[in-house]
Amino acid sequence: MADYTNYTNKEIQAVNIAKCIQNDQIVIVGTGLPLIGASLAKRIYAPKCHLIVESGLMDCSPIEVPRSVGDARFMAHCAVQWPNIRFIGFEANEWLHNEDRLIAFIGGAQIDPFGNVNSTSIGDYHHPKTRFTGSGGANGIATYCNTIIMMQHEKRRFMQKVDYITSPGWMEGPGGREAHGLPGNRGPLMVVTDRGILKFDKDTKRMYLAGYYPSSSPEEIIENTGFDIDVSKAVKLDAPDPEVIRMIREEIDPGQAFIKVPVEEKA
Amino acid sequence: MGKIYSLHDAIAKYVSDGDFIAFGGFTTNRKPFAAVHEILRQGKKDFIVQTGPAGHDVDMLIGEGRVKAFINCYIANSGFTNVCRRFRKAYEQGKLLMEDYSQDVLMLQLHAASLGLPFLPVKLMIGSGLETEWGITKEQRQKIDKLPDDKFVTIENPFKKGDKVLACPVPEIDTAIIHVQYASPDGTCRIIGDEFHDVDIAVAAKKTIVTCEQIISDEQIRRDPTLNSIPGFCVDAVVLAPFGAHPSQCYSLYDYDKAYYKAYDVASKTEEDFKTFVDEWVYGVKDHEEYINKLGASRLAKLQVIPGLGYAVDMTKEG
Repeated sequence: MADYTNYTNKEIQAVNIAKCIQNDQIVIVGTGLPLIGASLAKRIYAPKCHLIVESGLMDCSPIEVPRSVGDARFMAHCAVQWPNIRFIGFEANEWLHNEDRLIAFIGGAQIDPFGNVNSTSIGDYHHPKTRFTGSGGANGIATYCNTIIMMQHEKRRFMQKVDYITSPGWMEGPGGREAHGLPGNRGPLMVVTDRGILKFDKDTKRMYLAGYYPSSSPEEIIENTGFDIDVSKAVKLDAPDPEVIRMIREEIDPGQAFIKVPVEEKA
Repeated sequence: MGKIYSLHDAIAKYVSDGDFIAFGGFTTNRKPFAAVHEILRQGKKDFIVQTGPAGHDVDMLIGEGRVKAFINCYIANSGFTNVCRRFRKAYEQGKLLMEDYSQDVLMLQLHAASLGLPFLPVKLMIGSGLETEWGITKEQRQKIDKLPDDKFVTIENPFKKGDKVLACPVPEIDTAIIHVQYASPDGTCRIIGDEFHDVDIAVAAKKTIVTCEQIISDEQIRRDPTLNSIPGFCVDAVVLAPFGAHPSQCYSLYDYDKAYYKAYDVASKTEEDFKTFVDEWVYGVKDHEEYINKLGASRLAKLQVIPGLGYAVDMTKEG
Protein backbone atom coordinates (compact mmCIF):
# COMPACT_ATOMS: atom_id res chain seq x y z
CA MET A 1 0.00 0.00 0.00
CA ALA A 2 1.32 3.38 -0.98
CA ASP A 3 1.62 5.92 1.82
CA TYR A 4 -0.46 9.07 1.30
CA THR A 5 0.11 10.62 4.72
CA ASN A 6 3.66 11.73 3.86
CA TYR A 7 2.54 14.90 2.06
CA THR A 8 5.19 17.31 0.80
CA ASN A 9 5.27 21.12 1.08
CA LYS A 10 4.40 21.39 -2.60
CA GLU A 11 1.42 19.08 -2.18
CA ILE A 12 -0.01 20.96 0.79
CA GLN A 13 0.55 24.16 -1.18
CA ALA A 14 -1.45 22.70 -4.09
CA VAL A 15 -4.23 21.60 -1.73
CA ASN A 16 -4.46 25.11 -0.27
CA ILE A 17 -4.51 26.62 -3.74
CA ALA A 18 -7.46 24.32 -4.48
CA LYS A 19 -9.30 25.47 -1.36
CA CYS A 20 -9.09 29.11 -2.53
CA ILE A 21 -11.31 28.33 -5.50
CA GLN A 22 -15.09 28.58 -5.27
CA ASN A 23 -17.92 27.25 -7.39
CA ASP A 24 -18.88 29.44 -10.37
CA GLN A 25 -15.57 31.30 -10.27
CA ILE A 26 -13.69 31.66 -13.52
CA VAL A 27 -10.14 30.75 -12.66
CA ILE A 28 -7.17 31.94 -14.68
CA VAL A 29 -4.52 29.27 -14.33
CA GLY A 30 -1.06 28.78 -15.68
CA THR A 31 0.72 25.47 -15.72
CA GLY A 32 2.46 24.00 -12.69
CA LEU A 33 1.06 24.22 -9.18
CA PRO A 34 -1.99 26.41 -9.94
CA LEU A 35 -3.12 23.89 -12.51
CA ILE A 36 -2.69 21.01 -10.07
CA GLY A 37 -4.59 23.03 -7.45
CA ALA A 38 -7.34 23.96 -9.88
CA SER A 39 -7.66 20.38 -11.12
CA LEU A 40 -8.09 19.33 -7.52
CA ALA A 41 -10.68 22.06 -6.93
CA LYS A 42 -12.65 20.82 -9.94
CA ARG A 43 -12.67 17.30 -8.52
CA ILE A 44 -13.36 18.08 -4.85
CA TYR A 45 -13.80 21.59 -3.51
CA ALA A 46 -15.45 23.50 -6.34
CA PRO A 47 -16.63 21.19 -9.14
CA LYS A 48 -18.49 24.07 -10.80
CA CYS A 49 -15.47 26.33 -11.25
CA HIS A 50 -14.26 27.13 -14.76
CA LEU A 51 -10.64 27.14 -15.87
CA ILE A 52 -9.32 29.53 -18.49
CA VAL A 53 -5.78 30.19 -19.72
CA GLU A 54 -4.18 33.36 -21.03
CA SER A 55 -3.62 31.93 -24.49
CA GLY A 56 -7.40 32.31 -24.92
CA LEU A 57 -8.64 28.77 -24.28
CA MET A 58 -11.87 29.00 -22.32
CA ASP A 59 -13.41 26.56 -19.87
CA CYS A 60 -10.69 23.95 -20.04
CA SER A 61 -10.71 20.46 -18.62
CA PRO A 62 -7.45 18.85 -19.64
CA ILE A 63 -6.88 15.10 -19.26
CA GLU A 64 -3.09 14.95 -19.28
CA VAL A 65 -1.23 17.78 -17.52
CA PRO A 66 -0.35 20.51 -20.08
CA ARG A 67 3.15 21.98 -20.07
CA SER A 68 2.24 25.38 -21.46
CA VAL A 69 -0.89 27.53 -21.61
CA GLY A 70 -0.88 27.05 -25.37
CA ASP A 71 -0.54 23.26 -25.10
CA ALA A 72 -2.79 21.06 -27.25
CA ARG A 73 -3.66 19.32 -23.96
CA PHE A 74 -5.67 22.44 -23.07
CA MET A 75 -6.73 23.17 -26.62
CA ALA A 76 -8.34 19.80 -27.26
CA HIS A 77 -10.47 19.98 -24.11
CA CYS A 78 -12.09 23.39 -23.80
CA ALA A 79 -15.28 25.18 -24.80
CA VAL A 80 -13.83 27.88 -27.05
CA GLN A 81 -10.42 28.43 -28.66
CA TRP A 82 -10.16 32.20 -28.54
CA PRO A 83 -7.03 33.99 -29.67
CA ASN A 84 -5.20 35.67 -26.79
CA ILE A 85 -6.54 39.16 -27.62
CA ARG A 86 -10.09 38.07 -26.76
CA PHE A 87 -8.89 36.78 -23.42
CA ILE A 88 -7.42 40.24 -22.78
CA GLY A 89 -10.69 41.90 -23.77
CA PHE A 90 -12.67 39.53 -21.58
CA GLU A 91 -10.42 40.27 -18.60
CA ALA A 92 -10.90 44.03 -19.07
CA ASN A 93 -14.65 43.73 -19.65
CA GLU A 94 -15.14 41.75 -16.47
CA TRP A 95 -13.69 44.76 -14.65
CA LEU A 96 -15.65 47.29 -16.72
CA HIS A 97 -18.89 45.42 -15.93
CA ASN A 98 -17.94 45.20 -12.29
CA GLU A 99 -18.26 41.43 -12.36
CA ASP A 100 -16.65 39.52 -9.55
CA ARG A 101 -16.15 36.13 -11.18
CA LEU A 102 -12.48 36.09 -12.11
CA ILE A 103 -9.76 34.85 -9.83
CA ALA A 104 -6.21 34.43 -11.08
CA PHE A 105 -3.07 32.68 -9.96
CA ILE A 106 0.29 34.26 -10.59
CA GLY A 107 3.77 33.44 -9.36
CA GLY A 108 7.06 35.21 -9.04
CA ALA A 109 10.61 35.32 -7.76
CA GLN A 110 10.20 38.24 -5.36
CA ILE A 111 7.33 39.83 -3.45
CA ASP A 112 7.07 42.88 -1.16
CA PRO A 113 4.75 43.50 1.86
CA PHE A 114 2.07 45.00 -0.44
CA GLY A 115 2.00 42.06 -2.84
CA ASN A 116 3.94 43.66 -5.68
CA VAL A 117 5.54 40.79 -7.57
CA ASN A 118 8.71 40.52 -9.63
CA SER A 119 8.95 37.79 -12.25
CA THR A 120 11.20 39.68 -14.70
CA SER A 121 14.76 39.87 -13.39
CA ILE A 122 16.98 39.81 -10.31
CA GLY A 123 19.29 42.75 -9.76
CA ASP A 124 19.38 45.85 -11.93
CA TYR A 125 16.87 45.56 -14.78
CA HIS A 126 19.40 46.73 -17.36
CA HIS A 127 22.24 44.55 -16.08
CA PRO A 128 20.46 41.68 -14.36
CA LYS A 129 22.10 39.01 -12.32
CA THR A 130 19.35 36.69 -13.45
CA ARG A 131 16.93 37.35 -16.23
CA PHE A 132 13.56 35.53 -16.54
CA THR A 133 11.13 35.20 -19.44
CA GLY A 134 9.28 38.48 -19.10
CA SER A 135 5.74 39.35 -18.09
CA GLY A 136 3.70 36.89 -20.09
CA GLY A 137 0.07 37.39 -19.06
CA ALA A 138 0.92 38.27 -15.44
CA ASN A 139 0.94 42.05 -15.75
CA GLY A 140 -2.46 42.22 -17.43
CA ILE A 141 -3.91 39.78 -14.94
CA ALA A 142 -2.57 41.79 -11.98
CA THR A 143 -3.99 44.95 -13.55
CA TYR A 144 -7.56 43.76 -14.01
CA CYS A 145 -8.12 40.74 -11.74
CA ASN A 146 -8.03 39.73 -8.11
CA THR A 147 -5.04 37.48 -7.70
CA ILE A 148 -3.70 34.71 -5.53
CA ILE A 149 0.06 34.72 -5.56
CA MET A 150 2.13 31.56 -5.25
CA MET A 151 5.58 31.88 -3.80
CA GLN A 152 8.37 29.81 -2.38
CA HIS A 153 8.64 31.13 1.14
CA GLU A 154 12.25 32.27 1.48
CA LYS A 155 13.81 35.37 3.04
CA ARG A 156 15.48 36.40 -0.22
CA ARG A 157 12.11 36.30 -2.00
CA PHE A 158 9.98 38.09 0.63
CA MET A 159 11.66 41.45 0.60
CA GLN A 160 11.01 45.05 1.60
CA LYS A 161 11.51 46.27 -1.96
CA VAL A 162 11.45 44.09 -5.07
CA ASP A 163 13.99 44.65 -7.86
CA TYR A 164 11.29 45.21 -10.48
CA ILE A 165 7.50 45.20 -10.39
CA THR A 166 6.13 42.89 -13.07
CA SER A 167 2.67 42.48 -11.51
CA PRO A 168 1.40 45.42 -9.49
CA GLY A 169 -0.09 44.52 -6.11
CA TRP A 170 -1.35 47.19 -3.70
CA MET A 171 1.59 49.38 -4.81
CA GLU A 172 2.65 51.64 -1.87
CA GLY A 173 -0.40 50.72 0.23
CA PRO A 174 -3.89 52.18 0.63
CA GLY A 175 -4.89 54.23 -2.43
CA GLY A 176 -1.68 53.25 -4.18
CA ARG A 177 -3.30 51.57 -7.14
CA GLU A 178 -5.68 54.46 -7.79
CA ALA A 179 -2.83 56.96 -7.53
CA HIS A 180 -0.98 55.14 -10.32
CA GLY A 181 -4.09 54.87 -12.49
CA LEU A 182 -4.77 51.19 -11.84
CA PRO A 183 -8.20 49.73 -11.03
CA GLY A 184 -8.41 50.23 -7.27
CA ASN A 185 -11.02 47.55 -6.63
CA ARG A 186 -8.76 44.78 -7.85
CA GLY A 187 -5.56 43.43 -6.33
CA PRO A 188 -3.89 40.55 -4.56
CA LEU A 189 -6.10 38.67 -2.10
CA MET A 190 -3.61 36.24 -0.67
CA VAL A 191 -0.25 34.56 -1.00
CA VAL A 192 -0.03 30.79 -0.82
CA THR A 193 3.45 29.54 -0.04
CA ASP A 194 5.08 26.24 0.88
CA ARG A 195 4.88 27.33 4.53
CA GLY A 196 1.48 28.97 4.90
CA ILE A 197 -1.15 31.43 3.72
CA LEU A 198 -0.76 35.20 3.93
CA LYS A 199 -3.48 37.78 3.42
CA PHE A 200 -3.56 41.58 3.12
CA ASP A 201 -4.92 43.81 5.86
CA LYS A 202 -8.08 45.65 4.72
CA ASP A 203 -6.86 49.02 5.95
CA THR A 204 -3.08 48.98 5.62
CA LYS A 205 -2.90 46.60 2.61
CA ARG A 206 0.11 45.00 4.27
CA MET A 207 0.67 41.29 4.23
CA TYR A 208 0.00 39.31 7.43
CA LEU A 209 0.15 35.63 8.26
CA ALA A 210 -3.33 34.10 8.17
CA GLY A 211 -2.44 30.43 8.49
CA TYR A 212 0.48 28.07 8.70
CA TYR A 213 0.81 24.40 7.81
CA PRO A 214 1.31 21.71 10.44
CA SER A 215 4.74 21.23 8.84
CA SER A 216 5.60 24.89 9.55
CA SER A 217 5.21 27.43 12.38
CA PRO A 218 4.83 31.21 12.85
CA GLU A 219 8.44 31.34 14.05
CA GLU A 220 9.68 29.59 10.93
CA ILE A 221 7.67 31.99 8.78
CA ILE A 222 9.03 35.08 10.56
CA GLU A 223 12.51 33.70 10.02
CA ASN A 224 11.89 33.18 6.31
CA THR A 225 10.25 36.54 5.63
CA GLY A 226 12.51 39.48 4.79
CA PHE A 227 10.17 42.11 6.29
CA ASP A 228 8.20 42.45 9.53
CA ILE A 229 5.22 40.17 9.42
CA ASP A 230 2.25 40.18 11.79
CA VAL A 231 1.55 36.60 12.88
CA SER A 232 -0.95 37.42 15.66
CA LYS A 233 -3.96 36.34 13.59
CA ALA A 234 -2.42 33.11 12.29
CA VAL A 235 -4.17 29.80 12.76
CA LYS A 236 -2.78 26.32 12.27
CA LEU A 237 -4.18 24.80 9.07
CA ASP A 238 -5.26 21.18 8.70
CA ALA A 239 -3.01 18.51 7.24
CA PRO A 240 -4.33 17.36 3.87
CA ASP A 241 -6.60 14.33 3.71
CA PRO A 242 -4.59 11.30 2.45
CA GLU A 243 -7.32 10.71 -0.16
CA VAL A 244 -6.60 14.16 -1.61
CA ILE A 245 -2.88 13.38 -1.77
CA ARG A 246 -3.71 10.08 -3.49
CA MET A 247 -5.70 11.98 -6.08
CA ILE A 248 -2.78 14.33 -6.84
CA ARG A 249 -0.30 11.47 -7.17
CA GLU A 250 -2.43 8.89 -8.97
CA GLU A 251 -4.92 10.91 -11.05
CA ILE A 252 -3.90 14.53 -11.53
CA ASP A 253 -0.14 14.40 -11.96
CA PRO A 254 0.80 10.73 -12.29
CA GLY A 255 3.75 11.64 -14.51
CA GLN A 256 5.08 13.90 -11.71
CA ALA A 257 5.33 16.74 -14.20
CA PHE A 258 5.01 19.35 -11.47
CA ILE A 259 4.94 17.59 -8.11
CA LYS A 260 7.49 14.98 -7.17
CA VAL A 261 6.38 12.14 -4.93
CA PRO A 262 8.69 11.63 -1.95
CA VAL A 263 10.89 8.57 -2.36
CA GLU A 264 10.07 5.94 0.26
CA GLU A 265 13.03 4.99 2.35
CA LYS A 266 13.90 1.33 2.11
CA ALA A 267 13.59 -0.50 5.42
CA MET B 1 1.31 27.03 -59.60
CA GLY B 2 -0.16 29.99 -57.75
CA LYS B 3 2.03 31.10 -54.87
CA ILE B 4 3.71 27.77 -54.24
CA TYR B 5 7.43 28.06 -53.49
CA SER B 6 10.13 25.81 -52.21
CA LEU B 7 11.12 26.74 -48.68
CA HIS B 8 14.49 27.88 -49.94
CA ASP B 9 13.04 30.19 -52.57
CA ALA B 10 10.35 31.63 -50.29
CA ILE B 11 12.89 32.62 -47.64
CA ALA B 12 15.39 33.85 -50.25
CA LYS B 13 12.78 36.05 -51.89
CA TYR B 14 10.70 37.34 -48.98
CA VAL B 15 13.08 37.56 -46.03
CA SER B 16 15.70 40.30 -46.15
CA ASP B 17 18.44 41.34 -43.75
CA GLY B 18 17.15 43.96 -41.33
CA ASP B 19 13.48 43.00 -41.69
CA PHE B 20 11.00 43.63 -38.92
CA ILE B 21 9.84 40.07 -38.57
CA ALA B 22 7.00 38.35 -36.69
CA PHE B 23 6.51 34.63 -36.17
CA GLY B 24 3.28 32.77 -35.48
CA GLY B 25 2.66 30.12 -32.87
CA PHE B 26 2.72 30.09 -29.09
CA THR B 27 5.75 28.88 -27.07
CA THR B 28 5.67 25.15 -27.98
CA ASN B 29 2.70 25.13 -30.33
CA ARG B 30 2.61 25.62 -34.13
CA LYS B 31 5.93 27.43 -34.29
CA PRO B 32 7.27 27.82 -37.87
CA PHE B 33 10.49 25.94 -37.16
CA ALA B 34 11.16 24.75 -40.73
CA ALA B 35 11.22 28.39 -41.87
CA VAL B 36 13.38 29.51 -38.94
CA HIS B 37 15.89 26.76 -39.74
CA GLU B 38 16.01 27.91 -43.37
CA ILE B 39 16.53 31.55 -42.33
CA LEU B 40 19.48 30.37 -40.23
CA ARG B 41 20.89 28.32 -43.13
CA GLN B 42 20.66 31.26 -45.52
CA GLY B 43 22.59 33.47 -43.12
CA LYS B 44 19.95 36.21 -42.97
CA LYS B 45 20.39 38.62 -40.11
CA ASP B 46 19.84 41.95 -38.31
CA PHE B 47 16.19 41.30 -37.65
CA ILE B 48 13.90 43.21 -35.40
CA VAL B 49 11.80 40.44 -33.93
CA GLN B 50 8.42 40.99 -32.35
CA THR B 51 6.43 37.88 -31.90
CA GLY B 52 3.92 36.43 -29.49
CA PRO B 53 5.17 34.21 -26.69
CA ALA B 54 8.39 32.89 -28.16
CA GLY B 55 10.14 29.58 -27.83
CA HIS B 56 13.49 28.39 -29.09
CA ASP B 57 12.61 29.64 -32.57
CA VAL B 58 13.70 33.07 -31.37
CA ASP B 59 16.24 31.62 -28.92
CA MET B 60 18.17 30.10 -31.83
CA LEU B 61 18.10 33.35 -33.82
CA ILE B 62 19.45 35.18 -30.76
CA GLY B 63 22.04 32.46 -30.09
CA GLU B 64 23.21 32.72 -33.67
CA GLY B 65 23.47 36.50 -33.49
CA ARG B 66 20.77 37.25 -36.05
CA VAL B 67 18.66 39.58 -33.92
CA LYS B 68 19.35 43.33 -33.87
CA ALA B 69 16.51 44.05 -31.43
CA PHE B 70 14.01 41.79 -29.69
CA ILE B 71 10.60 43.07 -28.63
CA ASN B 72 9.75 40.59 -25.92
CA CYS B 73 6.82 39.53 -23.78
CA TYR B 74 7.79 35.95 -22.93
CA ILE B 75 10.37 33.47 -24.16
CA ALA B 76 10.37 29.87 -22.94
CA ASN B 77 9.98 26.31 -24.12
CA SER B 78 7.43 26.06 -21.31
CA GLY B 79 7.66 22.84 -19.35
CA PHE B 80 11.02 22.00 -20.94
CA THR B 81 13.11 25.16 -20.55
CA ASN B 82 11.44 27.72 -18.34
CA VAL B 83 13.57 30.62 -19.55
CA CYS B 84 15.18 30.20 -22.96
CA ARG B 85 18.88 29.94 -22.27
CA ARG B 86 20.63 31.62 -25.20
CA PHE B 87 18.31 34.59 -24.79
CA ARG B 88 19.05 34.70 -21.08
CA LYS B 89 22.77 34.48 -21.54
CA ALA B 90 22.83 37.13 -24.25
CA TYR B 91 20.79 39.54 -22.16
CA GLU B 92 22.71 38.93 -18.96
CA GLN B 93 25.95 39.57 -20.85
CA GLY B 94 24.60 42.82 -22.27
CA LYS B 95 24.72 41.50 -25.82
CA LEU B 96 21.03 41.72 -26.67
CA LEU B 97 19.04 44.86 -27.34
CA MET B 98 15.60 44.14 -25.96
CA GLU B 99 12.37 45.82 -24.98
CA ASP B 100 9.83 44.33 -22.61
CA TYR B 101 6.09 44.69 -23.05
CA SER B 102 3.44 42.73 -21.24
CA GLN B 103 2.04 39.90 -23.30
CA ASP B 104 -1.31 41.69 -23.39
CA VAL B 105 0.17 44.86 -24.82
CA LEU B 106 2.38 43.04 -27.31
CA MET B 107 -0.46 40.90 -28.65
CA LEU B 108 -2.76 43.94 -28.82
CA GLN B 109 -0.02 45.78 -30.76
CA LEU B 110 0.00 42.98 -33.33
CA HIS B 111 -3.79 43.09 -33.47
CA ALA B 112 -3.76 46.88 -33.80
CA ALA B 113 -1.36 46.44 -36.71
CA SER B 114 -3.85 44.09 -38.37
CA LEU B 115 -6.57 46.70 -37.88
CA GLY B 116 -4.40 49.44 -39.37
CA LEU B 117 -4.66 51.60 -36.24
CA PRO B 118 -2.25 54.53 -35.78
CA PHE B 119 -1.49 53.71 -32.12
CA LEU B 120 -2.77 51.59 -29.28
CA PRO B 121 -4.13 53.07 -26.04
CA VAL B 122 -3.92 50.74 -23.03
CA LYS B 123 -4.38 50.81 -19.30
CA LEU B 124 -1.90 47.95 -18.96
CA MET B 125 1.69 48.05 -17.65
CA ILE B 126 0.75 51.05 -15.47
CA GLY B 127 2.47 51.15 -12.10
CA SER B 128 4.86 48.35 -13.05
CA GLY B 129 8.47 48.21 -14.18
CA LEU B 130 7.10 47.86 -17.70
CA GLU B 131 6.10 51.52 -17.37
CA THR B 132 9.11 52.85 -15.48
CA GLU B 133 11.91 51.01 -17.28
CA TRP B 134 12.73 51.15 -20.96
CA GLY B 135 14.87 48.32 -22.26
CA ILE B 136 15.84 50.36 -25.32
CA THR B 137 16.46 54.06 -24.74
CA LYS B 138 15.11 56.85 -26.87
CA GLU B 139 18.65 57.54 -28.16
CA GLN B 140 19.13 53.90 -29.18
CA ARG B 141 15.69 53.85 -30.78
CA GLN B 142 16.42 56.94 -32.84
CA LYS B 143 19.35 55.12 -34.43
CA ILE B 144 17.21 52.17 -35.54
CA ASP B 145 14.92 53.08 -38.43
CA LYS B 146 12.36 50.41 -37.81
CA LEU B 147 11.87 51.11 -34.12
CA PRO B 148 9.57 53.87 -32.93
CA ASP B 149 11.33 56.58 -30.89
CA ASP B 150 9.29 55.83 -27.79
CA LYS B 151 8.32 52.66 -25.97
CA PHE B 152 5.01 54.45 -25.30
CA VAL B 153 3.72 57.94 -24.59
CA THR B 154 1.61 58.67 -21.51
CA ILE B 155 -1.57 60.54 -22.41
CA GLU B 156 -4.88 61.50 -20.86
CA ASN B 157 -7.88 59.62 -22.17
CA PRO B 158 -9.40 62.27 -24.47
CA PHE B 159 -12.87 61.02 -23.50
CA LYS B 160 -12.36 60.81 -19.76
CA LYS B 161 -10.71 63.60 -17.86
CA GLY B 162 -7.89 62.50 -15.56
CA ASP B 163 -7.82 58.93 -16.90
CA LYS B 164 -4.21 57.89 -17.54
CA VAL B 165 -3.54 55.87 -20.66
CA LEU B 166 -0.36 54.59 -22.30
CA ALA B 167 -0.32 55.19 -26.06
CA CYS B 168 1.77 52.37 -27.52
CA PRO B 169 3.27 52.29 -31.01
CA VAL B 170 1.87 49.90 -33.59
CA PRO B 171 4.56 47.79 -35.27
CA GLU B 172 5.16 48.05 -39.00
CA ILE B 173 5.87 44.43 -39.80
CA ASP B 174 7.88 43.62 -42.92
CA THR B 175 7.59 39.86 -42.81
CA ALA B 176 5.24 37.45 -41.09
CA ILE B 177 5.98 33.74 -41.03
CA ILE B 178 3.34 31.28 -39.89
CA HIS B 179 2.88 27.53 -40.04
CA VAL B 180 -0.64 26.24 -40.69
CA GLN B 181 -2.22 22.85 -41.17
CA TYR B 182 -3.65 23.50 -44.64
CA ALA B 183 -3.26 26.06 -47.41
CA SER B 184 -4.21 26.24 -51.05
CA PRO B 185 -1.99 27.39 -53.95
CA ASP B 186 -3.64 30.82 -54.01
CA GLY B 187 -2.67 31.34 -50.37
CA THR B 188 -5.97 30.64 -48.61
CA CYS B 189 -5.16 29.29 -45.14
CA ARG B 190 -6.94 26.89 -42.88
CA ILE B 191 -5.78 26.91 -39.26
CA ILE B 192 -7.12 24.14 -37.06
CA GLY B 193 -7.34 24.95 -33.36
CA ASP B 194 -6.40 28.26 -31.82
CA GLU B 195 -5.24 30.81 -34.40
CA PHE B 196 -3.06 32.61 -31.79
CA HIS B 197 -1.88 35.91 -33.34
CA ASP B 198 -1.16 34.29 -36.70
CA VAL B 199 -4.05 35.86 -38.59
CA ASP B 200 -3.15 39.29 -37.17
CA ILE B 201 0.44 39.19 -38.37
CA ALA B 202 -0.50 37.70 -41.75
CA VAL B 203 -2.82 40.67 -42.36
CA ALA B 204 -0.44 43.27 -40.92
CA ALA B 205 2.82 42.25 -42.61
CA LYS B 206 3.95 43.59 -45.97
CA LYS B 207 5.09 40.05 -46.88
CA THR B 208 3.64 36.82 -45.50
CA ILE B 209 5.15 33.37 -45.83
CA VAL B 210 2.96 30.40 -44.97
CA THR B 211 4.38 26.94 -44.47
CA CYS B 212 1.81 24.16 -44.30
CA GLU B 213 1.35 20.50 -43.55
CA GLN B 214 -0.74 19.87 -46.61
CA ILE B 215 -1.79 21.65 -49.78
CA ILE B 216 -5.50 21.64 -50.59
CA SER B 217 -6.70 22.69 -54.04
CA ASP B 218 -8.17 26.20 -54.38
CA GLU B 219 -11.55 24.64 -55.24
CA GLN B 220 -11.56 22.17 -52.38
CA ILE B 221 -10.57 24.68 -49.69
CA ARG B 222 -13.55 26.85 -50.71
CA ARG B 223 -16.04 24.06 -50.07
CA ASP B 224 -15.92 24.84 -46.37
CA PRO B 225 -14.95 28.49 -45.92
CA THR B 226 -16.07 28.33 -42.27
CA LEU B 227 -12.75 26.66 -41.55
CA ASN B 228 -10.60 29.19 -43.39
CA SER B 229 -9.13 32.22 -41.68
CA ILE B 230 -6.73 33.95 -44.07
CA PRO B 231 -7.61 34.89 -47.65
CA GLY B 232 -4.88 34.35 -50.23
CA PHE B 233 -4.65 38.14 -50.78
CA CYS B 234 -2.69 38.38 -47.52
CA VAL B 235 -0.21 35.65 -48.45
CA ASP B 236 2.85 35.91 -50.70
CA ALA B 237 4.28 32.42 -50.52
CA VAL B 238 2.86 29.00 -49.71
CA VAL B 239 5.40 26.31 -48.84
CA LEU B 240 4.62 22.65 -48.37
CA ALA B 241 6.53 21.66 -45.23
CA PRO B 242 5.19 18.54 -43.57
CA PHE B 243 6.18 18.50 -39.89
CA GLY B 244 7.20 22.10 -40.44
CA ALA B 245 6.33 22.95 -36.83
CA HIS B 246 8.50 20.15 -35.43
CA PRO B 247 9.54 19.95 -32.60
CA SER B 248 6.49 22.03 -31.55
CA GLN B 249 2.88 20.86 -31.69
CA CYS B 250 0.59 21.10 -34.67
CA TYR B 251 -2.94 20.82 -33.37
CA SER B 252 -4.98 17.81 -34.56
CA LEU B 253 -1.92 16.33 -36.28
CA TYR B 254 1.12 15.93 -34.06
CA ASP B 255 2.37 16.55 -30.54
CA TYR B 256 5.58 18.18 -29.40
CA ASP B 257 8.71 16.04 -29.58
CA LYS B 258 9.63 15.80 -25.90
CA ALA B 259 13.00 14.16 -26.56
CA TYR B 260 13.99 16.94 -28.97
CA TYR B 261 12.93 19.66 -26.53
CA LYS B 262 14.87 17.98 -23.75
CA ALA B 263 17.93 17.72 -26.00
CA TYR B 264 17.67 21.43 -26.83
CA ASP B 265 17.29 22.24 -23.15
CA VAL B 266 20.56 20.51 -22.36
CA ALA B 267 22.42 21.73 -25.44
CA SER B 268 21.44 25.37 -24.99
CA LYS B 269 23.10 25.51 -21.58
CA THR B 270 26.48 26.32 -23.08
CA GLU B 271 27.58 28.20 -26.17
CA GLU B 272 29.63 25.23 -27.27
CA ASP B 273 26.88 22.61 -26.97
CA PHE B 274 24.40 24.99 -28.58
CA LYS B 275 26.71 25.37 -31.59
CA THR B 276 27.07 21.60 -31.84
CA PHE B 277 23.28 21.26 -31.71
CA VAL B 278 22.56 23.78 -34.47
CA ASP B 279 25.44 22.38 -36.52
CA GLU B 280 23.77 19.01 -36.36
CA TRP B 281 20.10 19.94 -36.73
CA VAL B 282 20.14 23.16 -38.76
CA TYR B 283 23.34 23.66 -40.75
CA GLY B 284 24.13 19.96 -41.00
CA VAL B 285 21.04 19.29 -43.09
CA LYS B 286 20.56 20.69 -46.58
CA ASP B 287 16.87 21.45 -46.26
CA HIS B 288 13.66 20.56 -44.42
CA GLU B 289 13.36 17.28 -46.30
CA GLU B 290 16.73 16.18 -45.02
CA TYR B 291 15.74 17.35 -41.53
CA ILE B 292 12.65 15.13 -41.38
CA ASN B 293 14.58 12.24 -42.89
CA LYS B 294 17.15 12.67 -40.16
CA LEU B 295 14.39 12.52 -37.54
CA GLY B 296 13.09 9.37 -39.19
CA ALA B 297 9.65 8.03 -39.99
CA SER B 298 9.05 6.07 -36.81
CA ARG B 299 9.98 8.99 -34.57
CA LEU B 300 7.56 11.26 -36.42
CA ALA B 301 4.83 8.61 -36.52
CA LYS B 302 4.95 8.38 -32.75
CA LEU B 303 4.12 12.08 -32.48
CA GLN B 304 0.74 11.68 -34.18
CA VAL B 305 -2.05 12.80 -31.89
CA ILE B 306 -4.81 10.47 -30.87
CA PRO B 307 -8.15 11.95 -31.95
CA GLY B 308 -10.24 12.46 -28.84
CA LEU B 309 -7.22 13.03 -26.68
CA GLY B 310 -5.53 15.67 -28.79
CA TYR B 311 -2.03 14.56 -27.87
CA ALA B 312 0.29 11.62 -28.49
CA VAL B 313 0.60 8.81 -26.02
CA ASP B 314 2.07 5.35 -26.19
CA MET B 315 -0.95 3.32 -25.13
CA THR B 316 1.04 0.13 -24.73
CA LYS B 317 2.67 1.81 -21.74
CA GLU B 318 -0.50 3.17 -20.21
CA GLY B 319 -1.82 0.00 -18.64
